[in-house]
Amino acid sequence: MDLGNLTLFQMIRRSVDYQAQRQSVIAENIANADTPDYRPRDLPSFAQVLADSPTGGNRLVPVRTHGDHISGKADGAPGAREHADVYEAAPSGNEVVLEQQLIALNETTMQHQLSMRLMDRHLNMVRTALGRGQ
Amino acid sequence: MDLRVSMEIAAAGMRAQGTRIRVAAENVANANSTGETPNDMPYRRQVVTFRNLFDRALGANMVEVGRIADAPGEFARRFEPHHPSADAEGYVQYPNVNTIVESMDIREAQRSYEANLNVLESARQMMTSTLDILRR
Repeated sequence: MDLGNLTLFQMIRRSVDYQAQRQSVIAENIANADTPDYRPRDLPSFAQVLADSPTGGNRLVPVRTHGDHISGKADGAPGAREHADVYEAAPSGNEVVLEQQLIALNETTMQHQLSMRLMDRHLNMVRTALGRGQ
Repeated sequence: MDLRVSMEIAAAGMRAQGTRIRVAAENVANANSTGETPNDMPYRRQVVTFRNLFDRALGANMVEVGRIADAPGEFARRFEPHHPSADAEGYVQYPNVNTIVESMDIREAQRSYEANLNVLESARQMMTSTLDILRR
């Protein structure tokens, strides 16, 4: 049995991937908190990413029915976009608000921990099924 | 791995803020560095500029110190006729450094440094919690 085939494990993997990517986007914002003309970026929400992904949501997936069709698949990585609404901008044109970024950072850590806990619980269930539970 | 990239970015941010604090410290230390002879210029305040840099290897927006440049601004003139660098009228030129401005700049750099440190800590925490699964 491949554990990766269990839906919950697949979801956890995607969620952890997403949190790690979001973490590095936030790290960019915080590192550039004093760079002139820098605009902070963020990923769309996880629910949004999931709904937009070809396999995740209830979205139609294009199928290659002819040899001359363009091959390859759409980039699965969610694109980081600049914040649309800016809270405040420094005179240098920098729009990073440290507090906002730190809250987002905390969010990713919490979500990551949640995913890890879920993974742990689920693994325990598999263990129980195997007869090795407490 | 994305978490390692986050750590690299945070480290770049900390390096940049460290340079900023170093330059501010130089300014404070030289707040009274006048010239030695009447024609010498006093110390000129230095300012750090930050630059956004795309790191191709990591695929991320890093930050680096762009330039450490001279700050424009008038030198202060004080009447000290016995000073070795006093001009014919008895005035000495002092650096355009304002220690209050510098200490505010240091405080701000410190705040940014701490924010980067938080990123590092949070990435580390995420990595640890992932690795903890292996321990069970």
